[in-house]
Amino acid sequence: MNIRGVFIEDTFAEGFSMAAARVVITAASSKWSRAAALKLTGFATSIIACKCEAAIERELTPDETPDGRPGISVLLFAVNAEGVKRRLVERIGSTVLTCPTTSCFDGLPDATDRVLVGRALAAFGDKFQSSTVVGGQRYWRVPVMEGEFLLQESFGVQKKAVGGGNFLILAEDAPSALAAAEAAVEVMDGMPGIILPFPGGVVRSGSKVGSRGYQSMTASTNDSYCPTLRLTTGSALVEGVNAVLEIVIDGLDADAIIRALRAGIEAACRPGVRTIAAGNYGGNLGPFRFPLRQIMAGGC
Amino acid sequence: MSDVVTVSLRAPLTDPLQVEGLTADRVAGLSECEIAALPASLGARQARLGDFFDVKGERSDRLRVVGALKHVHGVAAGMAGGELVIDGDGGQGVAQGMTGGLVVVCGDVGADAARAMIAGTLVVFGRTGARPGRGSRRGSIVALGGIDMPVTYWCACTYEPPHVRLLLTYLRRRYGLNVEDQMIGGRYRRHCGDAGDPGRGEILEWVG
Repeated sequence: MNIRGVFIEDTFAEGFSMAAARVVITAASSKWSRAAALKLTGFATSIIACKCEAAIERELTPDETPDGRPGISVLLFAVNAEGVKRRLVERIGSTVLTCPTTSCFDGLPDATDRVLVGRALAAFGDKFQSSTVVGGQRYWRVPVMEGEFLLQESFGVQKKAVGGGNFLILAEDAPSALAAAEAAVEVMDGMPGIILPFPGGVVRSGSKVGSRGYQSMTASTNDSYCPTLRLTTGSALVEGVNAVLEIVIDGLDADAIIRALRAGIEAACRPGVRTIAAGNYGGNLGPFRFPLRQIMAGGC
Repeated sequence: MSDVVTVSLRAPLTDPLQVEGLTADRVAGLSECEIAALPASLGARQARLGDFFDVKGERSDRLRVVGALKHVHGVAAGMAGGELVIDGDGGQGVAQGMTGGLVVVCGDVGADAARAMIAGTLVVFGRTGARPGRGSRRGSIVALGGIDMPVTYWCACTYEPPHVRLLLTYLRRRYGLNVEDQMIGGRYRRHCGDAGDPGRGEILEWVG
């Protein structure tokens, strides 16, 4: 299969199960909701070292937020619901609670699986906190120096979330790879139900499971796709491929990832790109398979 | 089960009607007939709610009470949960002894509103009558249309309470209430009390 001269490899991206929450942050202006969201999602690129993966999903208009203010939605992924709860308590407590004018709401109101986040964080109020019920949901009012911080008691958890959706851009040179990756990110950014957790949505250091040389390492460089190692390792790169970048996608479900893969790969097929491939571990990492050709043919 | 139960006063009253059990949490477990059979008293005369009100809907914890209710006393007294909206003026003792839930009065409310309240929220869009929140231990009164503040409440600060913004936005969207933008984004004086029975109740007075 070729798209505008770019070869689509007959392979699949391999995803794994995760649990996810959607956090809605509102503030007096989008400047402040974004400020909180950027801190909330800081150092959350890879579950390997960061304990979670998180990023901004999209900006929200006042009509879309519970309190009618400008807002932003964030998706946070962890290995299970307990992990989601712990990360939310840590991160909301250190980043949203502290940010002027913000309030914090659950963005998955229909989820039946829920974790109690507000009660744990409300303890910051040192027993001066109080709760109120609006529309059947409990909210905590935590006194702070500015006034009060409002935080929802429970957050929905999507237990069928998927991590590790990905594709690889194999290009003739680094500028071409970067331009293609940027084009892909531009069309995927803001798509509902997905995030691109890495810086600017792009990964240059794709990894393999474990390590060839160090037993203690849970992940190490994906040497098969490192152009400098083309002649010294079992390389997946052909001559003429001199740079590879990866786009990693986490989604609330497999369908969201498929939609993002389709849009991203389509945009990444640009001059200077030779091949679109994907990272997989032979099916050993997770139960989700995203076959590139089938997806680009409109299947799945 | 209905989305909302609506209880409509058939004709204006001149004598005070005391109702009992007209709360959202009570109605949530009752059929139309059972709601109509809730006790009421007109002076010394024992009656039923259905003698004065039409009841539409059943088994919902959202209750709307419609009509000229100035002489209907005790609405939402002892309410423990759910939502009750009075589409107009409320009588005396609204939300008295309330322990949870949300009560909204779209017009004025009579004396002794939220007296001895333990928890929950009372929102009054019109004027709040005498002795609001007397003896309350917790809970909130949101006064949007003027209030004679009890001397047993003390003003802590003037601020923009985020939960009031959330609450009023919810009321506008869920019930289509005519909530002014200035109320949603406005500033409120926070009065804490009741000092006579030391508690953590509050009256939030809208100041624009």
